[in-house]
Amino acid sequence: MKINLTINNQEKVVDIDPDMPLLWLIRDVVKLKGTKFGCGMALCGACSLYVDGELVRSCSYPAKMADGKRITTIEGLSENESHLHPVQQAWLDIQVPQCGYCQPGFIMAAAKLLEQNPNPSVEDIKNGITNICRCGTHPRIIKAIIHASKIK
Amino acid sequence: MGKSNSNSKKGFSRRKFLARTGTGLVGTLALLYFGRSLIRREISGFVAEMEFATDIDNFDTNMWFEVNADNTITLKSPKVEMGQGIFTGFAMLAAEELDITLENIKVVHASSLNGIISNTGVSNSTSSLYVIIREIAATLRETLKLAASKLWGVNITTIATKDGVITSGTKSITYAELAKQTTEWIAAELPTLRPASAFKYVGKEQKRFDLLDKVLAKPIYGIDVDLPEMVYGAVLYSPYFNGKIKSIDFSKAQKSAGVLSVVEEKEWVGIVANSRYAAETALSSVKVTWDYIPNYSTNDTEKAISVGNGTEVNIQKTGDIDKIIGEEIVAEFRTPIGFHAGMEPSIVVADYKKDKLTLYASVQNLTFMQSSVSEALGIDTDKIDIIPTYLGGGFGRRAFKHNAVEAAKLSKVVGKPVQLLYTRKQEFQNGYVRPNTQHILKGKLSKNGQILSMQHDLATGPMAFMAMPAAEPLLGADFIVAGHGSRITYDVPNINTTIWQNSLPFETSMWRGVGMFANTFAIETFMDILAHKANIDPLKFRLNHCGDTAQLKRREKLLELLAEKSGWFNPKPTDIGRGIAVCDDHKTISAAVVEVKIEEGYIKVKRVVQAIDPGKVINPEGIRQQVEGATMMAISASLYEKGTIEDSQFVETNFHSYKVAKLSDTPEIEVLIYEGTDKPYGVGESPISPIAPAIANAVFDLTDIRLLSLPLQQVFEKGNAENKIDA
Repeated sequence: MKINLTINNQEKVVDIDPDMPLLWLIRDVVKLKGTKFGCGMALCGACSLYVDGELVRSCSYPAKMADGKRITTIEGLSENESHLHPVQQAWLDIQVPQCGYCQPGFIMAAAKLLEQNPNPSVEDIKNGITNICRCGTHPRIIKAIIHASKIK
Repeated sequence: MGKSNSNSKKGFSRRKFLARTGTGLVGTLALLYFGRSLIRREISGFVAEMEFATDIDNFDTNMWFEVNADNTITLKSPKVEMGQGIFTGFAMLAAEELDITLENIKVVHASSLNGIISNTGVSNSTSSLYVIIREIAATLRETLKLAASKLWGVNITTIATKDGVITSGTKSITYAELAKQTTEWIAAELPTLRPASAFKYVGKEQKRFDLLDKVLAKPIYGIDVDLPEMVYGAVLYSPYFNGKIKSIDFSKAQKSAGVLSVVEEKEWVGIVANSRYAAETALSSVKVTWDYIPNYSTNDTEKAISVGNGTEVNIQKTGDIDKIIGEEIVAEFRTPIGFHAGMEPSIVVADYKKDKLTLYASVQNLTFMQSSVSEALGIDTDKIDIIPTYLGGGFGRRAFKHNAVEAAKLSKVVGKPVQLLYTRKQEFQNGYVRPNTQHILKGKLSKNGQILSMQHDLATGPMAFMAMPAAEPLLGADFIVAGHGSRITYDVPNINTTIWQNSLPFETSMWRGVGMFANTFAIETFMDILAHKANIDPLKFRLNHCGDTAQLKRREKLLELLAEKSGWFNPKPTDIGRGIAVCDDHKTISAAVVEVKIEEGYIKVKRVVQAIDPGKVINPEGIRQQVEGATMMAISASLYEKGTIEDSQFVETNFHSYKVAKLSDTPEIEVLIYEGTDKPYGVGESPISPIAPAIANAVFDLTDIRLLSLPLQQVFEKGNAENKIDA
């Protein structure tokens, strides 16, 4: 099936199995590798991206549902490397990543949270993001989101 | 020296300018043939105290460094970066001797055909290379100076190096330009290293190098490797312990969309397809029945791992516990099976071309991967290039059971690069786990509250023997890895520690902190029980049992610092429980004070102050990251994580059934670093161990309920209050 998408402001047409998860379309067909695979069941959030502005766990989102929609991935979050999104800048300032694998998903979730709640409390952050990190960067993620809310 | 001048390699090759031989396990194992029980005890003590020497024996400068045309220097790391920040620390060490700015040192992974490969584990990456990296860097600098002195015909004493430039009088040349011009190198003798007092980088805060790449999600992990014509593999493994294929029908898979090949091997069936989705869809269409021994369950594992079952090895005997009279305090502890559950499942991309195999992998133990693939495919190791990528978490999981053999075979069959990725379910069911444990602790107290005798009987599955199966009959029980931390290290006159190891039908091995995690939970909770029995403050009680050895003096210092900075003796609200625990992980000491509340039936960790004495500090910010991370992983493992078994397979298959800590579990964490000695020791594992007992002790402080098994939340809910032990 031919699927039309706008990914990070670029139009793409891909011919794939319509039931393929959007994650594999993004990673292996379009070759944007920033969005990660973690669990395959929408439990960990490593594959988080935006579909028409909504936060989606793309490992469990069939590609056909994205037909005609706008996708934003971690690669499209910042304008460019010298103008980082406040969340990415905060991640640098607070030195969040360790292994770094889950961080794109966290960054996408954090940016969405701030869009909806520009001045979140620590409790808002703890309740609002359910992604998984195994290196234990949790305390810095929370600090970085508070920091990001003040950068803008 | 650089890639620009391949002839230059000759100047260095086969030069072993250092003879660095740690007392290897091989030597000690041979000793075991004689006087078993005595020697086993001695080895146990030796291993507990030892500083892990490096397993690397090639100190050829060219195998470590390359001078690049842009006047940067590449350091080819024999250790992998799995989040612990070692690349940054290595560059800081090299910069001390290279006379080049830190930004101009690029650290990359060595590949097996282009550098030194090793195993990354036991938290010794930085400590074991602390001197070596500086020595090799210093030798490189002196070699460059020799080349310049020859080029200019000047005495080497007139030559200086700074910021990547060599000068003598008015003459000057960059390292890169010199490397380009030099055809014959004279290798310098190892110079005297600069003293710590002259360090410019070591000990100072340094942001890790990989931050920007990781924040921008540049493709750097095994799963991100993408080669021309790469196809996707999926392998069927038995979900049952030791299951063998009884009957199989993969006719549907062969016809499934996108499938290129189905490969049937003795132990597994592999599918190669043109997308990951196609490969996994085809895999799920395979009809298979398994031959396995059914009905094995968690109960069977707990029965097997019980004191009195399996092989017994006594590893510590001081004084005579039997001669001590008085009331005996006894407590039994259990810890469950633990999964690593790193965020990136096992991944290998294999590219088999003619007679050469290239493996791109998220891997901790490259030497093991190299030997297992060489053996399975009959390829010489010099035809196998293993290129490590960054790892999406390690935690001990990537030492063994890589899928490299399967990936290589599939690539050979289809003649294309194959990406092979474990599904999350396979990551749970087909990896290996931290073994469950049982601990029986017994102690007697004097009237004034000093411990007269302590006995620890540990029952465990092995952790060490995937790495060295031949050692199992010699060691009898794995007191080296699974038994790590089981010895009583307090100043107590009469001690007896025994390990009971039983075999299990599933594979058990390394998990962050190895045996320390379970053993510290048992011993440090028991210390709390004894302290309450003696009616002495638990922190003071520990201080009362710090003796006169250098290590125990360091522990005393760290506990005093922790007491002061955590406000241990300050009054607290009535709804807060406070607990403490400490452990020595080889030469590193970690101690934590934890504060908890009970909210709607949930144990909530509110505050953690964790103090660490890792010896010499390389990068304080790197240490803070590791201590915070270990604290969070420990909160997760202590409160929630438990592997269970039904009908001979692991029940947990994904994060819905294996609960891990999330942002909502995050306490305030404060890290205290105390440099108690001038040599660096490990950091990544030690701080994981004090958290479980400190939480359990804090829950007791608040509720009078003793939690004697992990995971604490589940045990707390069951109301498993073993108050009788602490009567």
